[in-house]
Amino acid sequence: MSLLDKKVNGIISQSDLKKPSVRILYYGMFLVCLLITIISIAPPIWVFLSSFKDIKEFTRETTLLPKKIDFGLLKKTWVDLGFYKYYLNSFYVVTGSVICAIIFNGLLAYAISIIKPKGSKAIYGMILGSLMIPATTSIVPLFMNLNKLHLTGTFYPLWFVIGANAFFVVLYKEFFDTLPKSVIEAARIDGCSDLQIFFKIVMPMSKPITMVIAMYAVNMAWSDFLLPYLLLNNTGLETVMVRLFQFRSSQATDVEVLRAIIFAIIPPIILFTAFQKQIIQGNSHSGVKE
Amino acid sequence: MLEGTKEMSQKYKISKLIRNNLSGWLVMLPAIILFTFFVWEPLLESIRLSFYSAQGMRTVEFVGFKNYIDVFHHPDFFPAVRNTCLYAIWSLIIGFFIPIIMAILINEMIYAKGLFRVGTYFPNVVPGLATVLMWGFILKPGKTGVLNIILGHFGMEPSIWLSDPKLTIPLIVLTMTWKGAGATALIYLAALQGINRELYEAAIIDGAGIWSRIVNITIPGLRKLIRTLLILQVISVFQILYEPLVMTNGGPNNASISIMQLVFKYAFEKFDYPKAAAVSVMISVSLVILTVVYNKINKSEDA
Repeated sequence: MSLLDKKVNGIISQSDLKKPSVRILYYGMFLVCLLITIISIAPPIWVFLSSFKDIKEFTRETTLLPKKIDFGLLKKTWVDLGFYKYYLNSFYVVTGSVICAIIFNGLLAYAISIIKPKGSKAIYGMILGSLMIPATTSIVPLFMNLNKLHLTGTFYPLWFVIGANAFFVVLYKEFFDTLPKSVIEAARIDGCSDLQIFFKIVMPMSKPITMVIAMYAVNMAWSDFLLPYLLLNNTGLETVMVRLFQFRSSQATDVEVLRAIIFAIIPPIILFTAFQKQIIQGNSHSGVKE
Repeated sequence: MLEGTKEMSQKYKISKLIRNNLSGWLVMLPAIILFTFFVWEPLLESIRLSFYSAQGMRTVEFVGFKNYIDVFHHPDFFPAVRNTCLYAIWSLIIGFFIPIIMAILINEMIYAKGLFRVGTYFPNVVPGLATVLMWGFILKPGKTGVLNIILGHFGMEPSIWLSDPKLTIPLIVLTMTWKGAGATALIYLAALQGINRELYEAAIIDGAGIWSRIVNITIPGLRKLIRTLLILQVISVFQILYEPLVMTNGGPNNASISIMQLVFKYAFEKFDYPKAAAVSVMISVSLVILTVVYNKINKSEDA
């Protein structure tokens, strides 16, 4: 009983929990939560463990766990597939994307929310409109344009495409709307230009939202594969995801694919562990995302 | 004299107005160029392209609705449309309710709430492509597939999973749900915490049971959010591409081919860009119509 004494919120109240039937229900709910959490975490753990199997063990034996843990196998696949190169390429893409995501979307939202030049409302309307229209449908003409401009085989389109993200503009705009106007006015009276105000006043006050946007941008840039595949396939500049996509048509053993999956999910997992709190908070505040 | 200063100040005002707006527009300009190049222009170009014939990337002549008619008569078109609707239906059956239930359950927890939140969000950080490859292994047919090994412990016969045309779409939806449910549940959790606790207290005093509290307080409290996320989910499922592309390549026998996959096939396998654009336009138009109708229905319900 004492274990359940602290219940304060939700549908089931403290007094309900005095009834044995409700308590059984409650323990059942706890088990369901536990089960869902296990289902959420188990598959990547299984991939991790299986990546220690050799190919014979993986294809012939009906066991879940490897016979022995040998990091040498992971290292061998890392070298065989040349994953260092893909990591480096992904690193370039992610870095450029984060910078573009923050600066371009930030500046646009800053103008719409704070400077408010005539016509900026119409621009914001168009941006909200593009949130409604499915993005993947413009991939064909976009690819043709990039091809005509000879931008295939470069990282630039992947950097700049994220600088035009309607969702980020909305997030920034809503945050900028809450900033104290007096500080910005004071800076303007002191003779700061619009750009100076943005970089010296607005951005330093907007670190929380910038953090959230940076997280999204990292995740998007790391996980995206369609545009990177179209632009970078067979150019020597493939990112990690493009390499994963190539497994569709390449001669690789199952265990090599498993190990490549591990390489692809380790960086986001490290990032998630380090910034868990910000990521989860950011996600809760953004119902418009999916 | 007086008029002069008035004129002067007006002139000053106008020039100030221009200056203010000009500087504002200059700040917006880089992002507007990017939006034009990456979002707005391709959208319009997509519509134009769909009415032309092309040689490679060069448009040749206006052909009216010919591309649309050709696409319509392609043997893969009907399966793709049917499957896309099936994806949407299954994602509503499986994917839509699970996050709501998860959020309600987790919100009731006294202990380990944080663990459940972090744990269920975790799949969302696994990149989509890695997720589908991983589930491909888990659903591997034969005795060495993970799910078959686990079910084997309970004495069940190994299943062929994705190769069974009846199971393909539900299993792909299940994979998507595994990845997305935790993140969506977090959004619901935030909304659940916004429900006024006094409502529950009043209901308890009135003698309402747990079920009646869920139906009369919790669900109405989530109603607005449920509405928004419902249409957003349908929009995103209509664009499902890489899951079937990687997990089944549309098979077995077109049982899982999606309409976006048709775009991919036309554009990047057959290099027939106008037809790819025609399919894209069809998807966009149907989704815009769907959204407008959906919002109309919701509005008339509110009235």
